[in-house]
Amino acid sequence: MTSGAVASTAAVRVRGLWKRFGQQVAVAGIDLELPAGKFIGLVGPNGAGKTTTLSMVTGLLRPDQGSVEVVGHDVWRDPVAVKARIGVLPEGLRLFERLSGRELLAYSGRLRGLPGAEVDKRATQLLDVLDLAGAQHKLVVDYSTGMRKKIGLAAALLHNPEVLFLDEPFEGVDPVSAQTIRGVLERYTASGATVVFSSHVMELVESLCDWVAVMAAGRIRAHGTLAEVRGEAASLQQAFLELVGAGGRDTGSHLDWLGGGAR
Amino acid sequence: MTGEANLTPVFVRLKLSLLRNGLRQSAGRRAAYVVSAVVVVLFGALQLLGLIALHGNTHALPVVALLVAVLALGWAVMPLFFPSGDETLDPTRLVMLPLRPRPLVRALLAASLVGIGPLFTLLLLTGSVIAVAHGGAAYAVGVVAVALGLLVCVALARAVAAANIRLLTSRKGRDLAVLSGLVIAIGAQLVNFGAQHLGSSGLSQLDPVADVLKWVPPASAIGAVDSASDGSYGVAALQLALTVGALMLLLAVWSRHLTRLMTSPDGSTLQAAEPAARERTTGGLARLLPAGRTGTVMERSLRYIWRDPKTKAAWVTSLAIGLIVPVFNALQGTGSIYFACFAAGMLGIQMYNQFGQDTSAFWMVATTISSTHDAYVELRGRALALLVITLPYATLVTVLTTAMLGDWPRLPEVLGLSFALLGAMLATGAWTSARFPYSIPQEGYKNVAPGQAGLAWISIFGGMVSAALLSAPVIVATIWANVAQDGDQWGWLLLPLGAAYGATITWAGLRLAAPRTAARLPEILTAVSKG
Repeated sequence: MTSGAVASTAAVRVRGLWKRFGQQVAVAGIDLELPAGKFIGLVGPNGAGKTTTLSMVTGLLRPDQGSVEVVGHDVWRDPVAVKARIGVLPEGLRLFERLSGRELLAYSGRLRGLPGAEVDKRATQLLDVLDLAGAQHKLVVDYSTGMRKKIGLAAALLHNPEVLFLDEPFEGVDPVSAQTIRGVLERYTASGATVVFSSHVMELVESLCDWVAVMAAGRIRAHGTLAEVRGEAASLQQAFLELVGAGGRDTGSHLDWLGGGAR
Repeated sequence: MTGEANLTPVFVRLKLSLLRNGLRQSAGRRAAYVVSAVVVVLFGALQLLGLIALHGNTHALPVVALLVAVLALGWAVMPLFFPSGDETLDPTRLVMLPLRPRPLVRALLAASLVGIGPLFTLLLLTGSVIAVAHGGAAYAVGVVAVALGLLVCVALARAVAAANIRLLTSRKGRDLAVLSGLVIAIGAQLVNFGAQHLGSSGLSQLDPVADVLKWVPPASAIGAVDSASDGSYGVAALQLALTVGALMLLLAVWSRHLTRLMTSPDGSTLQAAEPAARERTTGGLARLLPAGRTGTVMERSLRYIWRDPKTKAAWVTSLAIGLIVPVFNALQGTGSIYFACFAAGMLGIQMYNQFGQDTSAFWMVATTISSTHDAYVELRGRALALLVITLPYATLVTVLTTAMLGDWPRLPEVLGLSFALLGAMLATGAWTSARFPYSIPQEGYKNVAPGQAGLAWISIFGGMVSAALLSAPVIVATIWANVAQDGDQWGWLLLPLGAAYGATITWAGLRLAAPRTAARLPEILTAVSKG
């Protein structure tokens, strides 16, 4: 693994990142350093700017302002160094769905300049581990949500990146597929690589991640190890609700007619 | 057995309710239905009048037989293209009901007779009978013929739908629907050409066709009326029997499929349980292509031409029009050999909006392009994939047109002009792909996402004008070769000249487009991700 060399530096360094869509500010000045070799969770409610941030970090969206460095290389000035070192699984973008699962991996790996025989070997192993071997000759357009996430993950892992960015990798995924994805990711980080993934499922983040950044309304509200972010709160969920200012919103007595005996 | 008697009115009422409820959904839909109904009835009435006017004409039978055959073809094809048009066509919706096939077939057949389509068919068949019938016996046969013809048409639609219901409710069926407009457009071209051809050379051309068609159901029913008019009652009886036989066969086929559909698990379950799709052979194609990014890009582009319905529709349109225009013009004797360049021009259009054809999957390409060189190789791969089909096709069309016009001395210069034009289209296509990308919605017939129509216009028309300007040197040289006194001797030179010019300009276009592509990856991704 090459990640040993960069273990001391940050995997991702973001400075003053801004993005506006018309009147709406999606990302409002983010400064963040994500440590290498960690399982990192980017959490926040819907519309917090997680996808926009990940798109800018991975070079799929041009920021209005700010800089992004991945393993010490600027994403916009040195794309050659960055694109070979990262794997991406975006949310809301298609795959080449008219290829079969195996063809998609073969295409993706060869496009990255890996030798054909090596691509095919890795593809076979990834398809096996991700439980897609039986569907490898089916077109991706006929895949279920979970299968699509898994084939996307396989494509993102194929070139053995140092940093893996996953946008909502567990969204709409059944428990069995989720467990498979989890197993692969845990093995991957255990070897020293970095995983950055976004989610709004706190239990998941709490059980998977050792480092967390909390986003809300385009800003980072807190970041650090899981213990630091959780602080005094009973769970990450509780800490998160307090951070984004939704903690005190109790349903209280407003719905006191709901449930109970008399209708 | 009481259920049997009651089923038919239930289904007819169901069909009527479905029609009524469909209309109740929106005023627009109601208006569309009323307008289409009026148009169909008017059209049907006009046809009826026209056919009545044809009464006594010696060519009445050929015309009528062809008309009925085309009508039957329409009935057979309609359910494949518009599967959602009639919900009672989908028998899987009735699976939960305890119905026996025989009464069900009868009831569904009766329900199918309700609607605009059957009304139009009725008008047309009636007109056809009037056109060919002479004498009381013939009219008596005619009444039977109309009923039989209508039933055969409806049963044909039902049988085709039942046999293909699994296809129609699956993704493949929806893919097929994208192609339907295209088949109709090309069919219209063929009909148009056929009509022109008939107009110029007379209806007697149809006689041999009619000799065959009057034995093919449901046109054989009309054939029977004609035979009865001539007094050949034996032949008439045979033709009627043939029609009845066809009807019985169709009903049997339909009934068998219906039974199978009603007693086996429904389509959605079957699809999930289906064994893994056949192994897609990756070997053959890949081995012929160059290694590295070039071959990888070419392979995917070529696969998409076949597998992606939108891309396929665009290609088939280009291929068909590129062939139809020069060849048909040549057939009619009005053509110029230079029309052969149409093939190159039409196919060159496929280079336009390359990244829009990827949809938002373009991100997979974007994450692997990190230099101008990568972008160049990507664009070159796509251009090469296009050339694999376009070069032989344009050459073939040119040679074919030349052969039909017998103008062999001009072949080299037309080929040269074709290649130059193709090169110019590829060059401008590559450049506009990088500069004016736009989204192609994957659903429906639209080829431009809302709000991007202007972009598409700039891209395609600006590109085509530029392509024409870019190939101006070769056009000028061609004109010179034709106008100058001893220019004819130099005509052959235009082939290598045009080919070299086309290759050079393509290369230049790719070179110019590559840095733009590499620098604008996020902007291109945003532009092609709408819809």
